Amino acid sequence: MSEKITKNKILIIGIAGGLAQITSRIILQNNPDAEIYGVDNRDVPEVELKGLTCIKMKFSRGNFEKLFREHEFDVVYHLARISHSNIGPQDLRKRLELSVMGTSRILDLSLRFGIKKLIVLSTFHVYGALSDNSIFLDENAPLRASVKHAELRDVVEMDQICTNWMWKNQEQVETVVLRPCNIIGSQISNTMSKYLTSHFAIRPLDYNPVFQFIHEFDMATVLARSLDELKTGTYNVATDEFISLGDALKIVGVKGIPFPVSVAKPLNSLLKKGNLDIPDYLIEYLKNSCLISNKSLKSFLGEDFNRFNIKQALNLLKI
Amino acid sequence: MPYNNREKKIGSYMFDKFSLKLSSEDKVHKEEQILKLRERYRDYQDPWGFNIDTVIEALNLTFPIYKKYFKIRIFGIENLEDKPYIFASNHTGQIPIDGMMITTAIAMEMDKPRVLHSMVDSFLAGFPFLGSLSAQTGSILGDRGNCKWLLDKGESILVFPEGMKGITKSSHEFYDTRQFSNGFFRIALGQKTPIVPITVVGAEEMFPLVFHAKKLGKVLGLPTLPLTANILPLPSPIDIYIGKPYELPDHMSVDAQDKEIRVHVQKIEKQINEQLKNGLEKRRPFFDSVRKPLQDFLFKKGRS
Repeated sequence: MSEKITKNKILIIGIAGGLAQITSRIILQNNPDAEIYGVDNRDVPEVELKGLTCIKMKFSRGNFEKLFREHEFDVVYHLARISHSNIGPQDLRKRLELSVMGTSRILDLSLRFGIKKLIVLSTFHVYGALSDNSIFLDENAPLRASVKHAELRDVVEMDQICTNWMWKNQEQVETVVLRPCNIIGSQISNTMSKYLTSHFAIRPLDYNPVFQFIHEFDMATVLARSLDELKTGTYNVATDEFISLGDALKIVGVKGIPFPVSVAKPLNSLLKKGNLDIPDYLIEYLKNSCLISNKSLKSFLGEDFNRFNIKQALNLLKI
Repeated sequence: MPYNNREKKIGSYMFDKFSLKLSSEDKVHKEEQILKLRERYRDYQDPWGFNIDTVIEALNLTFPIYKKYFKIRIFGIENLEDKPYIFASNHTGQIPIDGMMITTAIAMEMDKPRVLHSMVDSFLAGFPFLGSLSAQTGSILGDRGNCKWLLDKGESILVFPEGMKGITKSSHEFYDTRQFSNGFFRIALGQKTPIVPITVVGAEEMFPLVFHAKKLGKVLGLPTLPLTANILPLPSPIDIYIGKPYELPDHMSVDAQDKEIRVHVQKIEKQINEQLKNGLEKRRPFFDSVRKPLQDFLFKKGRS
């Protein structure tokens, strides 16, 4: 367990996202003395919450250096991985620049400016959805996301940069890399939440993969608890439950468009013209399961770290 | 995904055409076994999408085929108790009908029936429709992590230690078992689960004339390409022999050297081969069973 050190000054990168918003509220609830600086290159929400300051800024080396220099942060939350929704493989360069190069700069600055704890939000997508996946992959499983989809290279590279850096600098900075399963909720605007609430969702006829879902509130709680309760390492984040895609769609009440996913990829390029597309890589997740083990996380946070079970999480999407 | 009415109608037509209607005694037996299965798997859920309704739909189709088409005889069912086993079988036929028939036997012939989880190749696991259907009926990718999960939950699994090589035999190689791999024995050691040797006799003749165009298959991205004289499997009578469970050595480590494991794997292989030799001597003549259904199909018209 990490020692109790003062962690009052917190930087959250990617504050415009729903998950970052909920996380900052939970942190402030747990520690009213905390001072949170939230930054994003997107429009930041106008929130009047004691202890939370949100700033919109361009993600550049100069701006980050200035930020780290002016505020002596104790903790950095890096929640700014660029989403793949609505972005095709053609934007790989842009995503590599933001996710990989940006992350590398944040890591450098964290070391230079004596950050005590760094928490990075990665994703379970790094493992890849392949037909020969074993079940409940642990954190040591190979990261095979880009085997079929080169556009997921940024996701894998960002994760690998963080984990390599984490072990190399573990004496100086306590680093936690989280690989959550599908985070869903009404405040979060990620690919899976959009998919599960879209009337144009493709309902696979030829496959019925099994999914793990975690509610945004539970994920935010894990992020907040990471501050004091998780020591340096990589952690999969998922609950014990799983559900087939067909059953999940039934719970959220989405009939979707029944369609053989085997032919979805070529069709997807046509659909892009009508702006009804889903990212190519997601098609793979609609075919094959990618389930992760939560053993390591539970050894620190306990058996019942989640408030919502999978059915409740899905039902809450309807609100 | 449960079968729809159209498929049911086609199924019923085919059953009628091939004289696959069950006797009333078999029907009652089937219903009893299905009730027991429903009870056992009422709360069971697995991470591959197991669905007891789909299993029952599948049994409704496979049991008449098992009983009337392949006229399966089962020997040694009394060797089994109601506990988890690793069933290790020889692999025969060009499509894994042998696996389907062993699974049907365990579900339909045991007093306390079970759904046997067959280990399948990643090619089938990722195949459209079939992959999903097989996962719903309990067949999963043959992977050590998957086997461990199922055995921990008290389930039994079915492995074919010959692998794909077992069902990619041309006519001149029938009943020539390929070398068994060691993996299943290590899984058994790790989980302390007894291994039951199974022998299937009669399934090779479902496709009596086969040539494997392996090179062409590779070009097409397939594990193999069997070229057969018949498209549908012929109704060769099948016998399934269930051997006595193989006692695992007490103090052998799961990481024991290959040569130590090999000794035991060879004993299991030998037991299966002996059952095969005896089974071949006692098997029923094949063409007698082919002639009648063919005559029925070709010459009986206006059947209700």
